[in-house]
Amino acid sequence: MSRFSRVVALILQSHLRQWPLRTLLTIVGVSLGVSASVAVRTANVDVLRSFEQAVLSVAGPTTLEVSGDETGLDEQLVGSIRAVSGVTSVSPVIFQTAVRMNRNQPSQAIQVIGLDLLEEFHTRGFQMDQPASEKQLMNMIDPQAVYVGDALAREWKVSVGDHIDLLIGTGQLRSQVVGILRGPPDRRSSWERMAVMDIAAAQIAFGMVGKVDRFDLVTDTNVPIEEVGARVRAVLPPHVTTERPANRTSQVEQMLRAFRLNLTVLSWVGLLVGMFLIYNTMAFSVAQRRREIGIYRAIGMTQSRVAALFLMEAGLYGFFGGILGSAAGMALAQELITLLGRTISDLFVSVGTGGSGLLWTDQFWKIVIEGIVIGCVVSMIGAIGPSLDASRTTTVRALAPGDYEASQQVRVGGLAVGGVVLLVVAGLLSWPGPIDGVPILGYAATLCLLAGLACLAPICVTGWRQRRYVGREFSAGGVMRGIAVEHAARNPGRNGVTVSAFMVGLAIMIGVLVMVRSFRHTVELWVTDTVLADVVVAPSLWLRGTEIGTVGRSLPSEWMSILASVPGVAAVDSYRDVRIDVKGQRVAVVSRDLRLHAQWSRYLVRSGDSSEQLNRAADIGGLLVSEVLANRLEVHEGSMLEVATPSGPRQFPIVAVFYDYSTDGGKLLMDRALYQSLWHDDLVTVFPVYLRDGTHLGRVREQMTELLSASGNGGLPPLIISNVELRKEILDIFDRTFLLTYVLEAIAVVIAMLGIVNTLITSVLERRREFATLRAIGGSATQIRQLVLWEAAYLGTVGIVLGLIGGGLLSLLLIKVINRQSFGWTIQMIVPIGSLIQAVLLAGVATFLAGYFPARWAARQPIVEGLREE
Amino acid sequence: MVTLRHLCKTYARGDAKVTALQDVTLDIKYGEFCAFVGPSGCGKSTLLNLVAGLDMPTSGEIVLDGRSTTNLTSYEWTKIRRETIGIVFQAFHLVHGLTAEENIALPLMLSGDEGREISTRVDEMLDRVGMTHRRRHRPAELSGGEQQRIAIARALAHRPRLLLADEPTGNIDSHQGAGIMALIRDLATSGGQTVLLVTHSSQAAQTCDYTWTMQDGRLVSRTPRETGMVAAW
Repeated sequence: MSRFSRVVALILQSHLRQWPLRTLLTIVGVSLGVSASVAVRTANVDVLRSFEQAVLSVAGPTTLEVSGDETGLDEQLVGSIRAVSGVTSVSPVIFQTAVRMNRNQPSQAIQVIGLDLLEEFHTRGFQMDQPASEKQLMNMIDPQAVYVGDALAREWKVSVGDHIDLLIGTGQLRSQVVGILRGPPDRRSSWERMAVMDIAAAQIAFGMVGKVDRFDLVTDTNVPIEEVGARVRAVLPPHVTTERPANRTSQVEQMLRAFRLNLTVLSWVGLLVGMFLIYNTMAFSVAQRRREIGIYRAIGMTQSRVAALFLMEAGLYGFFGGILGSAAGMALAQELITLLGRTISDLFVSVGTGGSGLLWTDQFWKIVIEGIVIGCVVSMIGAIGPSLDASRTTTVRALAPGDYEASQQVRVGGLAVGGVVLLVVAGLLSWPGPIDGVPILGYAATLCLLAGLACLAPICVTGWRQRRYVGREFSAGGVMRGIAVEHAARNPGRNGVTVSAFMVGLAIMIGVLVMVRSFRHTVELWVTDTVLADVVVAPSLWLRGTEIGTVGRSLPSEWMSILASVPGVAAVDSYRDVRIDVKGQRVAVVSRDLRLHAQWSRYLVRSGDSSEQLNRAADIGGLLVSEVLANRLEVHEGSMLEVATPSGPRQFPIVAVFYDYSTDGGKLLMDRALYQSLWHDDLVTVFPVYLRDGTHLGRVREQMTELLSASGNGGLPPLIISNVELRKEILDIFDRTFLLTYVLEAIAVVIAMLGIVNTLITSVLERRREFATLRAIGGSATQIRQLVLWEAAYLGTVGIVLGLIGGGLLSLLLIKVINRQSFGWTIQMIVPIGSLIQAVLLAGVATFLAGYFPARWAARQPIVEGLREE
Repeated sequence: MVTLRHLCKTYARGDAKVTALQDVTLDIKYGEFCAFVGPSGCGKSTLLNLVAGLDMPTSGEIVLDGRSTTNLTSYEWTKIRRETIGIVFQAFHLVHGLTAEENIALPLMLSGDEGREISTRVDEMLDRVGMTHRRRHRPAELSGGEQQRIAIARALAHRPRLLLADEPTGNIDSHQGAGIMALIRDLATSGGQTVLLVTHSSQAAQTCDYTWTMQDGRLVSRTPRETGMVAAW
């Protein structure tokens, strides 16, 4: 250890011993910030890795994948692909989802892979017992035979020979476990949580006879893969995609980019607020040790070493905060992975919610080191200002009697001007569009907005101070309030930072609150205006989103006539929703009877009349395009759009653009007859049903259930959901999506609270003599408590006012810039007065609590010792 | 006015016990001006702190105005300080953020007095300590002597019957110190206050009616004022 390091260790040790509580608060604050950041990053990575691992495990030696849309591919294409030069082997694959039934109740969704087992016994990277006899070989390809992953078998407590019930689409399959799949012995594999069937059995089970989900190709190693890919594409219909397996992960990554980025940025708020906390702690540390710094300088410590001393102290806080934060972050990540997986599966694509399980193995040390680095960097950035201030200490003044700080006035005027400039810059940055689809300038505007308000905090703290009390207020409460305000205003630098930290936490809370409430209000209006069917008949597990797979989200078209025959039913629509690629975008193609929809319901079209546009689209074979997609593809009413269909590429006129909040991927709406003629798909996703006036909903439900169950094949009865229930479900999904946001916000606010506690403790420690004097000249313990509480109230009030202003401006940025550029949605802004009052009350209560304990402590201090304080 | 009976005070310093006061018994009558002198650490300031209720005795009894203080609560002591006691400190202990007049008004405001009364009394006290022209100044803008004048005005603003002065000239030069002692004597005499003065200075002690000398926490001797010494100040 160098001599300087030994000096630093000695000084830090004595300082930390002197202020243990403040040190602890600072470390806890940093660790909270680090934990939020680590948790979101870890969960983001884990969910994607889980998806990627599943893709690559199943792919095995596959170099190219040929896939269609959700309606599957014709298995006859295999011949054309095999004939392509450079293709060594072609394997048909079914990739679907089934739900395990446990005691007749649906439980876990699992991925079921259909493979040509006789061909691919050894090629996919899983291991299982070899069939020893011809009987066992026949068992392997039996339509009920299923191989279950090792981890699932252990979880379900099943072994070879046991039966398991699987819910597939609307039907139920009683299958028999004929083998257990194991991954490679040296690492975890996705096969351990999957089930495998023979391809023929899977085609029957999933109702895909003659179809497959994709073909996996192994290509000649001597020919570049891209070249083989181009040759394969040439022999296939245009709507069929040929790509490397890894591309699927990057596609999903691209799809989730805006969502993940927003989450990541929100998780950084905790770090930003933590930075203020560190600034505050270090600024106090410098003020407290000014004389000590003078002594160091007098005995030969250089300026840079003085700065290094304080930076190292901050780094130490960051180090311990990083360790604690990464541990807390990993614990939080476990919860976030489930929540995030569920949200992504609800909104985008099924990624599984089990996580990759890598968190506690190869990632552990990486996460800890990442946490420590984040903690140290954030702390040291926060400490730069105070450290430089310490290094510039004038030795003579620091050693002279009197108050050094009193002569060091923060340039509140200059800061205020800087603040105004930053606000103007924020306004300018909010004008341009996104860069590469990411609202980079929007985020920069947010940062400028918060920094600008933070620069205005010191002048706000000093600006409201009252100059005199005699002749104005003569009550004891008045004088306590006056002294409190006076003291708070006397330290604009330190208190400005505290107020800034509080303001940032509150502004983000309010900004996000207004954005979420406005968004919810917009969605509510949209749901009220567009979800008009009285009843929706859906697959039994439809509400579990993409998690249940495409077959699980399909119904037979024959149900339409059954539903129409139920007394009281006025009309039945068939709604089909499949995902396709349009110009590289994952898009939902929605088909329904547009004329019927025009008669019974509506779309919120950007211009014109909904019913007119729907009828026109049906007449001319046109499309209605969602606002998000129109923005992304840069098309508008009257444009032509080319879509690759199974019947070849087609040009469609765009009849109208409509507002839609169900997916950020975008939607194309066309008439069902047109869709069927191009996609040759008769399946239906849901049946929206319109009832005659006065029809009893309960009775219609009973009759529908009875009739549909009688026509089914032993599966669960379909979900018959009323209009009210459906609207509630949509809003529940919405609320679930923003749950994570609230968690991250709460962390930032807690750190800001720690900042206030820290400042008040600092203030109380500094003013022990003043409190003792007040007690000696007749002030009661209650009055001392009031004094500290008034100071907390003053700082809290300034913070709340700035937070409200910041929150309002931030909500504008979030709604008009960031959200619009990230997702393309138009959100109608509302001011949720009730929620804002709640937020302000919450902030007020938090301020009171933050002030209460230092106040109590101050009132209990012995008077004599306080009077001796120098 | 002040009666102390077998007063003892012991402090714990780690494992060791330090005796600050040992069996102090005395009786100070209304209007008396009494000084306590002795070397550092002899217990003078401890005695004053106990009389002011800023610290509690280990044993013994303090009687103020004929009332035993043995079982008083913290709030009752606060009330006594508001109504009966004024304190002048060596280090002035003015509240930094307040002006001179606001500092003087502070005890009156803490007692909940009426605004007009406070204003009148503050004007009166400023006049009596000769600081009217500095009323709007903050402590940092005043000299040591001026700060102590304001502290004396603050201590007497609420018309206490007992004034406790702990080394009031300790932080100022001898010239200003003489003026401060004369001011205390003058104000206390005109207001009929009983004064307990703790001092290192034998000259300061000579302004008093009599002087108690202390050593090792005990009262050693009581000396009446030597005539002619007051004039020397």
